[in-house]
Amino acid sequence: MSRSRARPGPVPGTSDYAGNVLREVSAWLHDRPGQADALLAVALLVVTAPQLAAGGQESVVNRIAFVVVTVLLVASVVARRRYPVAAFAVVAVIAAAQIVLGVQNGGQAQVFALQPTNADLAILVLLYTLAAYRPRPVSIAGLVACLLGSAVAIARWSPANGPHPADALFAAAAGLGGLTLAAWVLGDSVAYRYRRAYYASLEERAARLEAERDAQARIAAAAERARELQEQRARAVDESAARLRRIERDLHDGAQVRLAALAMTLGEIKENLESSGDDHTLALVGAAHQNAKDTLAELRDLARGIHPPVLDRGLGPALGILAGTSAIPVRLTVAITERPSPAIEAMAYFCAAELLANAAKHSGASRVAVSVREQDSGLSLSVTDDGDGGARLVPGGGLAGLRERVQTVDGRLEVDSPPGGPTIVTIDLPRHA
Amino acid sequence: MTATPDPLRIVIAEDAAIMRDGLTQTLTRRGHDVVAAVADAEALRRAVDEHRPDVAVIDVRMPPTHTDEGLRAAQAIHKDHPGVGVLVFSQYIETQSATELFASAPAGVGYLLKDRVADVSDFIDAIARVAHGGTVLDPEVVRQLLTASRRGDTLAALTPREREVLSLIAQGRSNAAIAAALFISPKVVEKHVANIFDKLGLAPDDNDNRRVIAALRYLES
Repeated sequence: MSRSRARPGPVPGTSDYAGNVLREVSAWLHDRPGQADALLAVALLVVTAPQLAAGGQESVVNRIAFVVVTVLLVASVVARRRYPVAAFAVVAVIAAAQIVLGVQNGGQAQVFALQPTNADLAILVLLYTLAAYRPRPVSIAGLVACLLGSAVAIARWSPANGPHPADALFAAAAGLGGLTLAAWVLGDSVAYRYRRAYYASLEERAARLEAERDAQARIAAAAERARELQEQRARAVDESAARLRRIERDLHDGAQVRLAALAMTLGEIKENLESSGDDHTLALVGAAHQNAKDTLAELRDLARGIHPPVLDRGLGPALGILAGTSAIPVRLTVAITERPSPAIEAMAYFCAAELLANAAKHSGASRVAVSVREQDSGLSLSVTDDGDGGARLVPGGGLAGLRERVQTVDGRLEVDSPPGGPTIVTIDLPRHA
Repeated sequence: MTATPDPLRIVIAEDAAIMRDGLTQTLTRRGHDVVAAVADAEALRRAVDEHRPDVAVIDVRMPPTHTDEGLRAAQAIHKDHPGVGVLVFSQYIETQSATELFASAPAGVGYLLKDRVADVSDFIDAIARVAHGGTVLDPEVVRQLLTASRRGDTLAALTPREREVLSLIAQGRSNAAIAAALFISPKVVEKHVANIFDKLGLAPDDNDNRRVIAALRYLES
């Protein structure tokens, strides 16, 4: 039931004018049930007033009693929406009392206050109310009570005593019964509309709840999947770091050692030849010796690029060595109490290495500060140089590549590099991938 | 080359068998006495305790953790047996480890990149210097120290030749060795050394080991 509805305004001079006014009034009353019931009550009082006036010969007590009964009937109309059953019961009791005490064979009232009055129309209003607002069994009980009451009233009132007994009896039965039925049917039809709307709303609510449950299930499944993926990624990152470390170890224990032994042997041969004096062979061996040494150096750089072994001793020593090889002086501060996972240490190390190389190559800086400290969720690496500034994240550039690498473990990279410097690159990493 | 007139008693600690054997054979061919060749720090300590060699040649990375066992063992040996020279050789240059080693052991220590074994005579010469209480620091470590030094402004006041001399001082060379390496007379070297120490504000020192430490401290500070 919507309280706001479209109300076409009255259009004077057209044939719809009366209909429009009616619709307006009906809509107005519909939106103000309290006022509507008050109007109805006033109307009942107005039509009942002549009957009080007609009892002018009655005693004051009788007339006051009449007023009390009338007010009760009218009040039940006002209270009908809030207390349909109680109001109906009040009216039913009054009606029953009227049938028993108010009507006598011959149509003379025994008790003035309980004679049938126009206010009895309240019965129909309350039957309607019962049918409209209460479940069917209750409203049918009310209907049966009203029909029975009507029958008894007709029997007591006994129009059979009149000139056309059968016709009058039939007319009374048809009139009272018809009115009663009409009131009930009207109310019931309203209830039917309400119920249908109510069931429709129930169905809609059920559908909405189901949709909500589905959505929640999907969200839960997605969250579960996200957690799984996160774990898989962490495993992949850790495994990859471990594999790189193994490769470096294998190179160290294998190729590097053999090559060093080879270089040593070549060195010894070369020195032996130097004293024996075969220049041609000496030159050849000398070249081989030099090649072996150069390869050894290249292999060392390669292995260190895969996994600097000093990382096994922690980020502090590793960064210390990195700072030692930097082309510009580095002030290093490492303040971490709990070691992050090896993969994170490696990532922080390679980020620092690249940022230091950047600073040396592009910034024109004369000194660099590298600091690693703990923060709530992990560690924060910052590299500050006193160079020219103006470093930017360019797609495909070194900084963007670093940021991508950092993002694979949900890390963050920020660049603060105003023209003229200084340049501060801050990288936040979790403690574990 | 023939055997040196002064055979050294040497202990080798290196976990890679091929390198351990190669070193043993080479040193033996040059007339030295490899009294023990071991593969880990524990065995190294026992061998040194037993043999009291002139010098121990020690790989930094050894079992079980393959991190810095050799370095720790070298420091311990130097503390327990000051007469035993320790030459640590490493696959990678780790300036910090090197300076740490030199800070705790000012004489009879050496730190070399593993590649240096390729130049056999130089390597054996380094072993001999350490065995005789000298100091040997890899040129690469010195280069890194010079580059990374925050004393860049003062160092810039040195002439190129003085920087060369400073580098050789830091490597542990004597004045005579410096003179031979640079093809200049010992007198000229002495003059350069005096100038360098003057420019850096260091007290002149004739002791080769002590002046290495002074130079390193200066570069590190």
